[in-house]
Amino acid sequence: MTERPPSPEPLLAARDLAYATGGRRLVDGVSLEARPGSLQAIVGPNGAGKSTLLKLLSGELAPTQGTVAYAGEAVAAIPPWRLAALRAVLPQAAHLAFPFTAAEVARIGLDGIGRGLGRRDRAGILAEALARADATHLGARAYPTLSGGEQARVQFARVLCQLAAGRTLAPAQVLLLDEPTASLDLRHQGALLDAARDLTRRGTAVIAILHDLNLAAAYADALIVLEAGRLVANGPPAAVMRDDLIARVFGVSWPVGRVPEGGQPFLLPRRTVAG
Amino acid sequence: MTGPHRLSPSRRAVFAGAFACALAGRPAGAATPATRIASLGGAVTEILWRLGAGPRVAIVDTTSVYPAEVLRERPNAGYLRALSAEGLLSVGPDLVLAAEGAGPPAVLALLREAGVPVETIREPPTAEGVRDKIATIGRLAGLDAPAEALSREVEARFATLARQRARVARPARALVVLSQTGGRLMAGGRGSTADGILALAGLVNAADGLEGFKPITDEALVAAAPDAVVMMITEGRSPDPATVFAPGTALAQTPAAARRALVAMDGLALLGFGPRTPEAAGALMRAVYPDLPPDPPPAPPRE
Amino acid sequence: MSDAAGPGRPGAPVFLGLGLLLAVAVLLSLGLGAVRIPPARIVAILTPGAAEAGRDALVVLGIRLPRTLLGLMVGAGLAVSGALMQGLFRNPLSDPALVGVSAGSGLAAAAVIVLGDRLLAGMGLPGPLPYAALPVAAFLGGLGATLGLYRIATRAGRTSVATLLLAGIALGALSGALTGLLVYASDDRQLRDLTFWSLGSLGGATWTKVWATAPALLPVLVLVPFLGRGLNALVLGEAEAFHLGVPVERLKRLAILLVAVAVGAGVAASGVIGFVGLVVPHALRLVIGPDHRRLLPASALLGGAFLVLADVAARLVVAPAELPIGIVTAFVGAPVFLWLLLGKPRQDD
Repeated sequence: MTERPPSPEPLLAARDLAYATGGRRLVDGVSLEARPGSLQAIVGPNGAGKSTLLKLLSGELAPTQGTVAYAGEAVAAIPPWRLAALRAVLPQAAHLAFPFTAAEVARIGLDGIGRGLGRRDRAGILAEALARADATHLGARAYPTLSGGEQARVQFARVLCQLAAGRTLAPAQVLLLDEPTASLDLRHQGALLDAARDLTRRGTAVIAILHDLNLAAAYADALIVLEAGRLVANGPPAAVMRDDLIARVFGVSWPVGRVPEGGQPFLLPRRTVAG
Repeated sequence: MTGPHRLSPSRRAVFAGAFACALAGRPAGAATPATRIASLGGAVTEILWRLGAGPRVAIVDTTSVYPAEVLRERPNAGYLRALSAEGLLSVGPDLVLAAEGAGPPAVLALLREAGVPVETIREPPTAEGVRDKIATIGRLAGLDAPAEALSREVEARFATLARQRARVARPARALVVLSQTGGRLMAGGRGSTADGILALAGLVNAADGLEGFKPITDEALVAAAPDAVVMMITEGRSPDPATVFAPGTALAQTPAAARRALVAMDGLALLGFGPRTPEAAGALMRAVYPDLPPDPPPAPPRE
Repeated sequence: MSDAAGPGRPGAPVFLGLGLLLAVAVLLSLGLGAVRIPPARIVAILTPGAAEAGRDALVVLGIRLPRTLLGLMVGAGLAVSGALMQGLFRNPLSDPALVGVSAGSGLAAAAVIVLGDRLLAGMGLPGPLPYAALPVAAFLGGLGATLGLYRIATRAGRTSVATLLLAGIALGALSGALTGLLVYASDDRQLRDLTFWSLGSLGGATWTKVWATAPALLPVLVLVPFLGRGLNALVLGEAEAFHLGVPVERLKRLAILLVAVAVGAGVAASGVIGFVGLVVPHALRLVIGPDHRRLLPASALLGGAFLVLADVAARLVVAPAELPIGIVTAFVGAPVFLWLLLGKPRQDD
């Protein structure tokens, strides 16, 4: 699929989301949108409510206030099987109690939505997803024996399978990623985000929680900055990454630099204590 | 299941035919007595052997422990209340004499369905019960004459026993202990076979606060204050009074302990209510009442 | 199975093998027993339309056949329940007993055995208690316990599997204590009845039992394969399963209900038979992998075959008496399981 013109209805729209539990507001008054072909990164310090926000967006948690809608339809009204065709979620970690092989784990992404597909189509989707996630060679290995990074790639393959299968039911989809690069080495961090960017070229909207600001700056069209459950900034990296905001939200006084070509900002760590 | 299990109608017709064939010329107690008897229940087996029908018994159960060679020489269909239907059928029985309580009911129903006559032998724990048992078994096995003779013999002994009982001035209290597993004493209360044998031996059942064979608490035991304790001989070994009345046990605090009054007897003889019952009761009586004068000669036979 | 087995997993040959094993088990069960019947006779008796009469026909059609059918159903039900529980709790050590079925059934049965006649006397009704009271009570006890556990573990429509597990353990302990009280209060005969019941037996199998048990077990066996996909997704986690479109709460509810019915009916029909629910799915997983779409039907096949074979052994070893089948399943199952564990490379560390 080629670039799509912006459609009137965003793929995913959240308005005034709030989530409170045990007397604490984990998310407070957050509104955001995801349009086809965009890649947005949710960033913020620990405890800022990033994971909670992602769970609200995916429909896993019901907000105490506000709405989440997929293509205009409230998420609570969409039955789980159809929601699975509209959006896929890559979890932070998945511990398996049973020794499925990597290929079997990836294939689980196909088994629900992809029920109607033919065996050859399914095999093709599986192979492509494994290749994209650089997990083909892991296919026959038992998932519990893989390293954290390898497991993360297999889960990514699963998610790709789910999206591919759902594409037959929903033309435009949303991909939600919860710290997908946490256990990956540099090469695979880049590869995964490259693959995510690839998906956006097909019209998928991607929202990823990233802890690495430099990665976010390199890949994301927009940064969504959360602090204590509130949205404090939402815009392109060049606009959002400023010394004062970084200092206030993240509590470090590292200067923001700029790469000469393209002006992509970067953040270099700086030792605060001499010696 | 209540009642015999139901097969489909066509099958029942088939088995009715089998039934008829099996019974042709062999109603219970008729001229051609059963030659392959399934004897289920310790007293039932003992009586059959006493009547000389041992060779005609094809299969027994685990409670058929007397005479001792029975379990060695005959196939065993399992525990009385958990019998095997196919096992019983495998010896081709033509008569099943089952003590009441044999089961499961489905198995007995299956035997009936196979055309094998199944007769339940009631076991009331009394002298009359023994007499009726002998008569019933004799009739069903086609051995009325031997049964009559055995009955008379047993009756005479019961009569002697009754006379001896009459001479007991002050009945003593006794407790029958069935088992002592895990510190828990199982005693024979009202209506149990223990109760029956104690009555025959002229003894008061110290555990008459219980019904049937029940565990008895230490306190109840002390309150029962038995003058004698009766226990079973297991595996040929008698319980040792030193252990039974060891200091610290509840039994040690009974009048029985002071006199080391422990009577050990064979379980089936004592509680089975079969032909050895009069002797067992007599032995029990003599053990508890050692000072009882010896038997006067029996009354002349009433003929 | 319509789906490819996936790399490295034996597929159709395993099912063929299991089917063959099942057939062999049935043949042995119908052909062997305390009564010697030549195979030709057995074939003649089993031929539909033949009006065979006599003891042999009764043994084959009235004893061995219902026993075989009951063994197949109960074995399949127990094994499938074990697989369901292991998938639901995401733990290969789970056992159907965890949802409280066995505890409830056991307690109800013990109550009937020990208190039954006393209750009747107390109500002024003539004894003895009808024999059907025991299986009915066991079934209802199992269902009741499971329902209670489910209620405890479910808040606002969400069933917490962790709470279910913990509450199940508590219920098991409580029920064990109450059963212990009943044992303590039982007399000699009741104690023996309880002991035999808790060792399990197919000995009382009659056509009545078969017809009574089938409506409970057959629907379970038919419905269970449909849970395969959902259980696979559930292995990834409840949230992940939801993201993949699985109706998680409904799946949990259905799984718990099916287990309660299958195990309840099994226990009611043949007492407590342990080990099948834990070991059969676990052993199969080592051979055909953890994909529930294949594991569930395979468990049914192997569970049925295993129980029937165990019954054959129970009937032959001390013929003409019978061993309680619970002893045989443990005695045979444990070494086989150990052998499997030792033989396979560890896959899950």
